[in-house]
Amino acid sequence: MRFAIRDVELSQPLQAIDLAPEEVGIALIGRWQERLVGFRMVRAEGRRSISAEALTAIADEAFAMPVLTAIIEREQPRPPSRALPTLTLAICTKDRAVRLARLLATLVEVRDRSPFAATEILVIDNAPSDDSTREVAASHAGVRYVTEPKAGLNFARNTALANATGDLLAFLDDDVVVDRHYLEGLAAAWRSAPEAGGFTGLVLPYRLETEAQICFEERGGFGRGFARREFQATSFAFPLHPAGAGLLGAGCNMAFDRALLLQLGGFDDALDTGRPLPGGGDLDIFYRVLRAGRTMVYEPRYAVFHEHRETVEQLRHQYWTWGLGLMAFLVKSWRTDREWRPQHRALVRWWLLDQLKSVAGAAARLRPRDLRFRLAEFAGGIQGLFGEYDRSQRRVAAIRDRLS
Amino acid sequence: MIRQGITVRHVDLAADHSGELASADQAALNIYWWGDLPLGMEPLSAAEMPEGRARLDLLAARFAAEQRLARDPALGAPLVAGAEGAPHRALTIRTAATARESWSWLRETAAPSTHSAADVAIIICTRNRLPDLAKCLAALRTQRSPAGEVIVVDNSSDGNASDLCAASTGIRYVHEPRPGLSHARNTGLSAATRGIVAFTDDDVTPHPGWTAELARAFADSDADAVTGLVLPIRLDTWAQRCFQMMMGGFGDRFVPVLFDRRFFAETQADGVHVWRIGAGANMAFRRSVFDRVGLFDTRLGAGASGCSEDSEIWYRILAVGGACLYEPRAVVFHDHRADWSSLEQQMRSYMRGHVSALVAQRDLFGHRGNVMRIFKQLPRYFVRTAIESVLHAAPDRRKLLRQEIFGWTSGLRYLISPGWRRRRPKLPATLSGTMPR
Repeated sequence: MRFAIRDVELSQPLQAIDLAPEEVGIALIGRWQERLVGFRMVRAEGRRSISAEALTAIADEAFAMPVLTAIIEREQPRPPSRALPTLTLAICTKDRAVRLARLLATLVEVRDRSPFAATEILVIDNAPSDDSTREVAASHAGVRYVTEPKAGLNFARNTALANATGDLLAFLDDDVVVDRHYLEGLAAAWRSAPEAGGFTGLVLPYRLETEAQICFEERGGFGRGFARREFQATSFAFPLHPAGAGLLGAGCNMAFDRALLLQLGGFDDALDTGRPLPGGGDLDIFYRVLRAGRTMVYEPRYAVFHEHRETVEQLRHQYWTWGLGLMAFLVKSWRTDREWRPQHRALVRWWLLDQLKSVAGAAARLRPRDLRFRLAEFAGGIQGLFGEYDRSQRRVAAIRDRLS
Repeated sequence: MIRQGITVRHVDLAADHSGELASADQAALNIYWWGDLPLGMEPLSAAEMPEGRARLDLLAARFAAEQRLARDPALGAPLVAGAEGAPHRALTIRTAATARESWSWLRETAAPSTHSAADVAIIICTRNRLPDLAKCLAALRTQRSPAGEVIVVDNSSDGNASDLCAASTGIRYVHEPRPGLSHARNTGLSAATRGIVAFTDDDVTPHPGWTAELARAFADSDADAVTGLVLPIRLDTWAQRCFQMMMGGFGDRFVPVLFDRRFFAETQADGVHVWRIGAGANMAFRRSVFDRVGLFDTRLGAGASGCSEDSEIWYRILAVGGACLYEPRAVVFHDHRADWSSLEQQMRSYMRGHVSALVAQRDLFGHRGNVMRIFKQLPRYFVRTAIESVLHAAPDRRKLLRQEIFGWTSGLRYLISPGWRRRRPKLPATLSGTMPR
């Protein structure tokens, strides 16, 4: 059971797509003259091939309006473009040399035609158990390698921050590969708002080859849409923002003004620690950037492809960590940011009601798998609400003591 | 967010905003324009303003695409309305790719109408609101193309607007002592001598291009009726903000949409969605259409069942094969009710009037969808809204919902009152032919 992912150039006539026996549908990544304009999954419903006409009808329905907007945007008079700053691309990884190699292959290629004033790649090897990561990094020209012995994603991110030289610091998880226009996308995002504190980008599926991956993407995945957005400290449309900072993007594809990160004191080591609290770190840094009065920009052309969880069990665990990470982050924010406590309380209340609603919905529709996902997220949230942040702080303090 | 004050802020995207957009100390409902062409609106918090160049550019491009789709025949315009009045679009990538020079296209499209409004009669029905009426008349004097005639129908018992009208030049004053907006509208119709009649209310300030845009809309289209955009003047009080942001105000569509036979057929199963066509505060008709469908039903409307005398006329027009065009370029500004109890009363009478119009429509044409709406869609809407209001912690939405349910309940009395249902107004013979016995 898998979906065929096809990158389609919409300015060319579309060709029929033949499906392999195990392919149950297609996922179209629509581009207009190379620019990403949309993503659409279509189930084949028993068809063994999708004719050019059927494909065109799907594309018209899904992409015609964004194409028209893209055409009009390109005709728009533009302000003179500014010179770009220097950039550090940081990859935090732990014992996943194969995935790192896959990412570096795509990243080195875009770096070699980077529009930025200077572009360095930095690999942070987090508490490695062997030399495989070091070897992969060494096999690519111009990749700096740094080890961080304290296990935990945010420890690694802080090491990246301490070692980076670029004005702009972009983070990538090791389970992504970058789009061929990734750096042009980041450049466009920066040029549109050079004063912004941070940038997030589109996350598309790298492959849809298991039930869990398809299920995750059909439920919305990491998708934040194909329209550029700006976020400030408050939002009219989302009264709970930025407490619900998940709207902004995801930690696997984000970039910041490095000076601002230093000023904010970097990432919170007690969030995004890997097991047992592998979440909340991205929400926390987005929140703090916005609270510092700086803009965050979401730019869809700044895109990566993410390898989703392979098994249903891993996916269930991911939903559990989402609940856990969100609530740990909220508990932390509630403690440190007294002024915005009403927002935190309102978000917890909204989240509980919303979770109950989706649990009830999944139960009523007799969807046991959905129900398990929802219950996992709910359980994670409850655990996060009751003391997980404190437990995590004690754990990271112990790690720090042991390794210093 | 709407707890605090909201400014209504007008932003012209055709102007160069490099750096001079003012920052704001409170949230604002931003209404975006390209010169005189309204493009869209969006509420923003104080922190989200002033908008940067990139944001404004993106908005402009998105709005330009929507306008081009709805107004360029090469891309399939005019758009025909479907469920809830949402336009059907049938854009293909192939046709989208033919769109060139969109910014000069937009400049030409946004050019104000130069049509003469000499054949337009404006009818303002008023009742005991002299200061409002004075403001409305003042705005009508500054129309770029003056209307052929302006008729004020005074629906007060003692004719208290007569002095004010006598003092303004070029106003025809008519007194209609029978209470009820439908009576007043019908009296205005029989006084009007022009080919097009446009209605507005005393609490409305028309845009200077209003009459000229109505004249252009009728000249460019065969529609029997035209409605336009109604924007809020101010959102200073809680009641005004609730009406605009929570209840949807008088609509938020910024592209022209055609309501025709297809729309009627498509939405008939649950009561044709005629309330999506527009608002009585900004509507116009070819006078001849009243010969075909009859006058306003005097059982409906403010002062009688509560409202919906406007949408019921549109229903009749569509039922006999006519068409209504929503043209947001014809803009008026409305002063929403400022105090909470008036808003509650308004919500109650809207729902009561809505039910009464559904009964009237059912009786006139025998269409079962109207009854379905009363007993299926509306209760479903009440339940959904109740759940949403709990989920979003919106106690005031719940209060308004209560009023809507009261209104619905009291509207049922029209359904069970044979006397009321028999008092159907006299209709032209052509229409009677289509009626069930």
